Amino acid sequence: MEDDRLLAGRGHFIADVRVPGLLHAAFARSPYPHARLRGVDVRAARAAPGVAAVFTAADLRDRTVEMRLGAPPQLARPGFGPLAAEKVRFVGDPVAIVVAESRALAEDAAELVELDDDPLDPIATIADALDPTRPALFDEVGSNVLYREHRTHGDPTGAFAAAHDVVSLTFRQHRQANAPLEGRGAVAEFSPETGELMYHAAHQNPHALRFALATLLNHPADLVTVRCGDIGGSFGQKAYPSREDIALGAAAIALGRSVAWIEDRSENLLAAGQARDEILDVDAAVTADGVVLGLRVRMTLDQGAYQLTTLPPTVVPTIVRVLLPGPYRIEHLDFDATVVATNKATYVAYRGPWEAETWVRERLLDVVARRVGVEPIEVRRRNLYDTTDFPRRLVTGPTMASVTARETLERAAELVDVAAFRVEQRAARDHGRYLGFGVATFIEPAPGPPDYRAAIGAGAAPRSAQRAVAHLDADGTVVVTTSQSPHGQGHETTLAQLAADALDVDLTQVRVVHGDTRHTPFNLVGTGGSRAATLASGAVLGATRELADQARRLVAHHLEADPADVEVRAGRVQVRGTPGAGMTLAEVAAASTTQPRPPEVHSALTSSFDFGIPDGGWSQATHCCWVEVDVETGLVRISRYLVVEDCGEMINPAIVEGQVRGGVAQGIAGVLYEWAAYGDDAQPLAASFVDYLLPTASEIPPIEIEHLESPPQGPIDFRGVGEGGAIGAPAALTNAIEDALAPFGVVVTEQYLPPARILELIGVLA
Amino acid sequence: MTDRRVVALTVNGEDRHADLEDRTTLADALRDELGCTSVHLGCEQGACGACTVLLDGAPVRSCVVLAAQADTCSVVTLEGLAPPDGWHPIQVAFRDAHSFQCGFCTPGFVLTTYAALVDQPQLNEAEIRAALSGNLCRCTGYQSIVDGVALVVERLQGAPPPPPGAAVVDP
Repeated sequence: MEDDRLLAGRGHFIADVRVPGLLHAAFARSPYPHARLRGVDVRAARAAPGVAAVFTAADLRDRTVEMRLGAPPQLARPGFGPLAAEKVRFVGDPVAIVVAESRALAEDAAELVELDDDPLDPIATIADALDPTRPALFDEVGSNVLYREHRTHGDPTGAFAAAHDVVSLTFRQHRQANAPLEGRGAVAEFSPETGELMYHAAHQNPHALRFALATLLNHPADLVTVRCGDIGGSFGQKAYPSREDIALGAAAIALGRSVAWIEDRSENLLAAGQARDEILDVDAAVTADGVVLGLRVRMTLDQGAYQLTTLPPTVVPTIVRVLLPGPYRIEHLDFDATVVATNKATYVAYRGPWEAETWVRERLLDVVARRVGVEPIEVRRRNLYDTTDFPRRLVTGPTMASVTARETLERAAELVDVAAFRVEQRAARDHGRYLGFGVATFIEPAPGPPDYRAAIGAGAAPRSAQRAVAHLDADGTVVVTTSQSPHGQGHETTLAQLAADALDVDLTQVRVVHGDTRHTPFNLVGTGGSRAATLASGAVLGATRELADQARRLVAHHLEADPADVEVRAGRVQVRGTPGAGMTLAEVAAASTTQPRPPEVHSALTSSFDFGIPDGGWSQATHCCWVEVDVETGLVRISRYLVVEDCGEMINPAIVEGQVRGGVAQGIAGVLYEWAAYGDDAQPLAASFVDYLLPTASEIPPIEIEHLESPPQGPIDFRGVGEGGAIGAPAALTNAIEDALAPFGVVVTEQYLPPARILELIGVLA
Repeated sequence: MTDRRVVALTVNGEDRHADLEDRTTLADALRDELGCTSVHLGCEQGACGACTVLLDGAPVRSCVVLAAQADTCSVVTLEGLAPPDGWHPIQVAFRDAHSFQCGFCTPGFVLTTYAALVDQPQLNEAEIRAALSGNLCRCTGYQSIVDGVALVVERLQGAPPPPPGAAVVDP
């Protein structure tokens, strides 16, 4: 398993890949947010010590195919190259790739690259992008508004006509960075004799990357392999073919050499992608009892400058729309989505990319609760569906079955003594101490039901079946290959557990193979969107059960026994009740290649299984957060944090809890510490870990977890938990902060609440 | 920037030397010249702690120490904390407590823990959190790491951790 390797310091991460004759690349990047490029002078860089080559956009033009997103048609999808050509569009835009004998020499030379630029007005904010007098980033589009869509579900007009009250708020979610501890990187190992490109990468989606390399480098696909080793986190960032990947591959092929690129932290924060930069104007139609009848939402997303070529920015507002009603009786929805371009890094997916739906809805419910004068838990009870209401379809399309969101709330209510807290809260206020309690309830498509894919529409990543292949090797090792590409989720352990159970062998007799496109089953998506827990697990169980069945049939054939009387037990395939009559798995492997076998048993025992998306597929949770806000310093201290979650049956509780806690920590960090800030001039303000503040062990509190683990609804009903922590935490925490600051009349409508902002909200700072 | 020098140092108990550019960091020397790829570079700015090694017993961020500064010194990386055929009690506790996910920050956390426990073998939870607060982890939310350190404190019963290369604990 991965544990021993990583604990011994023997992990094999992308920067550990060594191949003979390796050169090293560094990118020269634009220091300007928005400028027309008259020229790029690389003469000094080319003459610098140890430099093998320097390529600009002009040098790569004939070696690469234009990068351009394929869908959806309603979105303006401007094309671009791996290196900036006629314009630079954000600080960090790559303009040249320098290849040298060492990374240090490549970086030295990259600093010598000179840009001849003609500055343009920066587009630093959504407001700038909506201003038609400002220059467009892409001449071919002619506007910085790239997409508008209007959708109506149910009868929002009727809902608003019937409302007792309309609550109108504008919510702002700030730009954040995924910030995995390991940055991006790749080693393009090129063999000029054969034309083979072995592309070592740290990547969530190896097969998609392979397709992109072959297509965009115009290189025969059968000569391209992607291979991933250990990956130092990603959280949605290492999931796309990047412009750097294409420049690196092109440089390696042009030079006929192998070239490595290992991103540094500044590059990672400036150019690897950022997320969550959205504004949502929300009107809610509310009854006198605090029941939300319908919503009108106008969502604007800042996609940054360049689009990903495999994931349109429209996916996020679409999923926000589809999931906004969540487990609540909100059956009328009017939704406007706008996507704009600005001079910032590319918008990418970040753990629970649609998290705004939960944050906005749960914030809104607390505002409604305060207006109506009921507890946050009570307002949720009035709005949540009952368990007996399921299965039913969300008004936006997907079917909700086996949804236990309400149970998570009720269980939380049992664990939380709100009445006692209110007494404590009042007493504390008398002493100038401000305590707050916040709650949030949501559902998470993990991976969601079959009709979820249809609801989120074209352009979304495919949610197809996952395949696993199980093979019995000569020494009796069970080899399982998966298209998952784990980067901290422990899939080598969880998938091996399932295989070991199916064949009743020790974990050490199972090997999980992932990340190498020569061996792993094709799937455009590897690890992401909670595809592992249900789909990859189901595929591994199917393949290994089929393998066990084949082993039984082979041994039965050999012993002239009835297959029904043959069992797989403790690494042996034997006649039930007569353990002496049977074979070890190694003997079975040998027999499958040398002995007569029934026609349904494959030579060299191998089985393959496709597991499609089953019904259900929802995880859910209620998060509770208690805070104390120091109104003199603006500091927020989280005194307690509780997650009540239901992801169905757990394969490995320690891994589930690690995923939940890690997600909550990122959600907390997004509220209190992290901001991928840009100035009004579109200059980035957080290009190091000194400015982009990741929390430490001193900031993240212990996180209590209560599992409901409702019984499986089908033969395989494990559900994902990777994203929920990050989805629930911003809502629960901002709700708690508003509750603490209620005496000041504060309504929290922005997600980033560092001390200075808290002091502004309560009027201490102007 | 091309002046070079030979740096001689002890790495995980072995005498080693390397011919390096003066500007070479200890981290790059360990990774690229001395085979210690457990030294992970997460920021190269001294902020994340993933590259923590023990320099004459003290934890340092090897990305902001020059290799030349380590001349004549003794360096311990994660590869040298336990002998090749065994595990250090900190590693075992981290495994038992699931104290990591992607594993990239783990070498730094293990060595930071070692140095903290040499200083003070009896750490309570708040002291553990303070001792770890110079290292960043993006995956775990820290609780499992704090639990792992608490577990090793409990198992060592007040004794300091065994020195590098000494402790063999059966997995």
